[in-house]
Amino acid sequence: MTEAGSQGLSRVKEIYQDRSHRVKALKAEGKQVIGYYDIYPVLEMLTALDLVPYRLLGDMSEPITKADTCLPTVVCPFIRSVMDLGLKGKYDFLDGVVMAHACEVAEKTAHIWRIYLTPAYAHFIDTPHTTHAAAQKQHKELLKDFKKTLESFTGKELSAERLEQAIRVHNQQRTLVRELYELRKPDPPLVSGVETLQVMVALTSLPVEEGNELLRQVISEVKQRKDGPSLRPARLLIWGSVIDNIALIDMIENIGANVVMDDTSVGSRAYFSQVELTEDPLDGLAYRYLVELKAPRTFRETVLSETGKKDYMTDLENRFGYLGDYAKEWNVNGIILQAMRYCDIHGYEVPGLKDYLGNIGLPNIYLEHDYSEAALAPLRTRVQAFLEVIG
Amino acid sequence: MQENSLYFAGIDLGSTMTKVVIIDADEAIRARVESHTGAEHRRLANKVMEQALEQANLSFGEIAYVVATGYGRINVPFADRQITELTCHARGVASFFPSVRTALDIGGQDAKGLKVKDGKLIDFVMNDKCAAGTGRFLEVIASTLSLKVEELGSISLKSKNKVSISSTCTIFAQQEVISRISEGVPLEDIVAGLHSAIASRAVGMLRRLKIEPDVVFTGGVAQNIGVVKAVRENLGCEVFIPQDPLISGAMGAALLGKELTLKALAKGESIQRGERRLAEATFFK
Amino acid sequence: MTDEKKKRAISRLKTMYPLRALIDGMYEQAVEASKDGKPVAWCMVNWWGGDVILRTMDVAAVYPEDYSAVCAAFGAAPAYLARSDSDGFPTHMCGYARNCLGYAAQMKDLGEIPPEAPMGGMPKPTLLLSSGFFCDTRYKWFQALGRYLDAPLWVLEMPHPGVKESRMEGVREHNINFLVEELREFIAFLEHLLGKKMDWDRLEEIVDDTIEMNRVWHQVNELRKARPCPMHSRDFWSSMPASLYMAADPKVTTDLYQKMYDEVKYMVDNHIGAIPEEKYRLAFAELPPWHSLGFFNQLAERGWNFVVESWAYHPPKPIDLSKVSNPLERIANLTYQYFSGYFEDAFKVGDWWGYFAHPYLEFVKEYQCDGIFLHPLLTCRTATNHLLVVQDQLMRKLKVPSLVVEGDIVDLKLFDPADALRKAETFEETMSHYRTVRKEMGLAW
Repeated sequence: MTEAGSQGLSRVKEIYQDRSHRVKALKAEGKQVIGYYDIYPVLEMLTALDLVPYRLLGDMSEPITKADTCLPTVVCPFIRSVMDLGLKGKYDFLDGVVMAHACEVAEKTAHIWRIYLTPAYAHFIDTPHTTHAAAQKQHKELLKDFKKTLESFTGKELSAERLEQAIRVHNQQRTLVRELYELRKPDPPLVSGVETLQVMVALTSLPVEEGNELLRQVISEVKQRKDGPSLRPARLLIWGSVIDNIALIDMIENIGANVVMDDTSVGSRAYFSQVELTEDPLDGLAYRYLVELKAPRTFRETVLSETGKKDYMTDLENRFGYLGDYAKEWNVNGIILQAMRYCDIHGYEVPGLKDYLGNIGLPNIYLEHDYSEAALAPLRTRVQAFLEVIG
Repeated sequence: MQENSLYFAGIDLGSTMTKVVIIDADEAIRARVESHTGAEHRRLANKVMEQALEQANLSFGEIAYVVATGYGRINVPFADRQITELTCHARGVASFFPSVRTALDIGGQDAKGLKVKDGKLIDFVMNDKCAAGTGRFLEVIASTLSLKVEELGSISLKSKNKVSISSTCTIFAQQEVISRISEGVPLEDIVAGLHSAIASRAVGMLRRLKIEPDVVFTGGVAQNIGVVKAVRENLGCEVFIPQDPLISGAMGAALLGKELTLKALAKGESIQRGERRLAEATFFK
Repeated sequence: MTDEKKKRAISRLKTMYPLRALIDGMYEQAVEASKDGKPVAWCMVNWWGGDVILRTMDVAAVYPEDYSAVCAAFGAAPAYLARSDSDGFPTHMCGYARNCLGYAAQMKDLGEIPPEAPMGGMPKPTLLLSSGFFCDTRYKWFQALGRYLDAPLWVLEMPHPGVKESRMEGVREHNINFLVEELREFIAFLEHLLGKKMDWDRLEEIVDDTIEMNRVWHQVNELRKARPCPMHSRDFWSSMPASLYMAADPKVTTDLYQKMYDEVKYMVDNHIGAIPEEKYRLAFAELPPWHSLGFFNQLAERGWNFVVESWAYHPPKPIDLSKVSNPLERIANLTYQYFSGYFEDAFKVGDWWGYFAHPYLEFVKEYQCDGIFLHPLLTCRTATNHLLVVQDQLMRKLKVPSLVVEGDIVDLKLFDPADALRKAETFEETMSHYRTVRKEMGLAW
């Protein structure tokens, strides 16, 4: 229940507890809400047509039951949870969905969702896997297809002007998120990892302009507060598969660390790259949502040396160098690599990433879990031991 | 406070066994107690601590610092600090073998691999999800064969022709054992094969760290001579076994307690103690 | 049961054997090429686009996904899996990938092919060719190989449109363009790497031969609709690799498929089935238990004829390419047809998973199946993802029941033939029951 006039971090916490409250109110006012998962669906195209993007997340505390009828247990438990919630009617308020080829299971679930939930509007964006020139061209074509079905659904034209306006507002949100993340740089950080995640989750539950307003309130509040996180020797970055629940970060911070930075999709990955305003806005969008977005599902080639051979360390530097930069900028002294069981995209990265981090001297630990609260207990000892090692 | 009158206690509350060690300022062991953990951690922790104090002829107030470790370490109300068993085992093993670089610890319910440098833990790997490669595996097998766990080691040494147990899973291994028995394979060959299997699983986990000598094998299962032999064969190098493999965790805990105390004293700071509630927790009454 | 009866449980096609033998030489050829200093590629199956280009440019190809199945069958996998585990690759991942990573690690340590590697092993590659087809593991695995191999990696993209999206105006065109431009970029990469130019005439010939090979192979499989079915899935699985792995000149392969067509046609004309008494016609999804194919003989003894299977391995439905002259466009069309050939049917009935899942609805109708044997695999998500939807759709829409028996691609103990046989007995009653139900509904079989 949103308190009238509730603001900043307390509003964030309310939204975190009851994510769909605001969009349901907007629906009652006649707005349409489109669900999506992961960071590849182009949100600007929804905002431009006055549709409210709403990110589909899972529920770590809800046992998966219905999804067993259409998704096997050996696939990503997060997607299974999302599907499960869908089948249980938790997403019935949506007017439609847009899904993208973020990963194999996300792609397949896009089709399964359509079969079993028969949304009034659905579109699938087949985001390419590489940044090849052909892939970039294809990506723009795919966005043109998406534009067509959106126009058909809304009966409105997705003009360049509307799109440009939407890009500006979404870019504004990205800038504000960066500002918030800057406040994690001091020692101790002014805002905790748990609070940051709650803010990120809140942003995925609101129309973009309301999200921007909330961010401004939070930033102002955090700058002035005296009751922020306490000083702890460990300053950690958390990398890996989607985290949409505070349980893991809360556990880590309670053991005795500050999580000051992340490289996850309900986090910096979604916000740290801007869209360039191009004459045809679709060009800037296509480029940003494929090339600029940094995530392991996108295959990037290493520039080959003259011998035509590949150099492993150069490849690692190309793929992971940005993490080294984050570590420097946010003064990180340890990295938590976490991945869900059955997440192939992140699983294959781990040895290479550990090699890279070992090479630049950043202590790290790999944690595997299965997106359930019960799964966290065995991780406690590992995290504590890791902190004892770097302490 | 005079340093040479200081005593330090380490309590390792494992999932199967609880161990307490009290050392003096010269690191000599003044008390050593072990007991089955059971379900009531707090009551048990109090009980073994009292037994240890009695053994050492000390009162609780004479203990300068208590460190709790192990699975149930948060259930020790009289501890001043809780430190993970990974860090404590590294410290304890290093006190037995100062040149240790890699340690394998196989307990009742889990297995750990430790990289150690100058007595400090620098990296680790854990298996606490899967029974194969832990003491639990041996218990299940002993039960299947109607033997006592303690007998398994000596039986395996009699084997001249051990069978290969290919299953990586305890349940499947059980089935394999039953098949082998019905085929008439000698008991000692089956048992030796099983010891190879548990060693293979545990060493497989250990190989995720870079194995460097000296290698130490500790924990309850290190008391099984058959597994020790199998681990040595699998690693193909010298493997050292502590005289008292059960207490490396508690020993390490006590030593870390000493370190923390001396550090505080050297800085002229007061020792950060816990609440120290040795009295029985009321809600268990 | 006499030995003779056991032997004749499934009549193996004579023309299957030479097709199967084509693949056996693949590893030796690659090792020889490597010794001669010729380029070698480790490839993921890429449904012809990459392969025709490699063949044209005289690059010997080996396929690690096949090799890992070989390692599993020879019992060599556990050692490689153990190595991959200790190198930190999570154990839930594709067994083929982990086996290959372990193999590559050993090869790097030794500086040569591991001496105990089955079938002479895979030589150190000049390049890695992966693809974005179906499964994330395909390109992430090959990317991870960079830890052990210094060969450059090319990832060939493949569009995966949704059914509805594929029917939109211009979508087919931009998808084909994408495929064609991808192939062009790949050719440029190869020309630079190998220091030689593409022979476009030769490519055109190989493309045409590949299209023809698939056309003939498709015809062979059409014949299996006959009752009784003349060709069991075992023969499909043995003959199929020749169409997916370019181990031989496609002219040679086409000729062998043509001979197979003749043999199968003869059997159809003379009402000869692959098994003595066809009591039940079964479909199979998705990847077979390669190491335990003898299991199907036991089912054949019970009258189970497996008549259609493994959509992913099937050739594309024929497509008229008479107006497409550019070889890259021709092969791109073939690949796209392979992926989206059932999309039109799916669209008509509002079924949104047009590949992997929907084809089984068509298969089961066209081949008149009484049941489907579903084989979920512990470490292959790609071949397991669709099985629940297939199970559900087949029952809801066509009243065709499913038998589910689990296994894995490299942990061979997970497949329990004795248990599967027990389940099979009960399943026969289920199949008989649903035959009646279908008849009452007015369905043709």
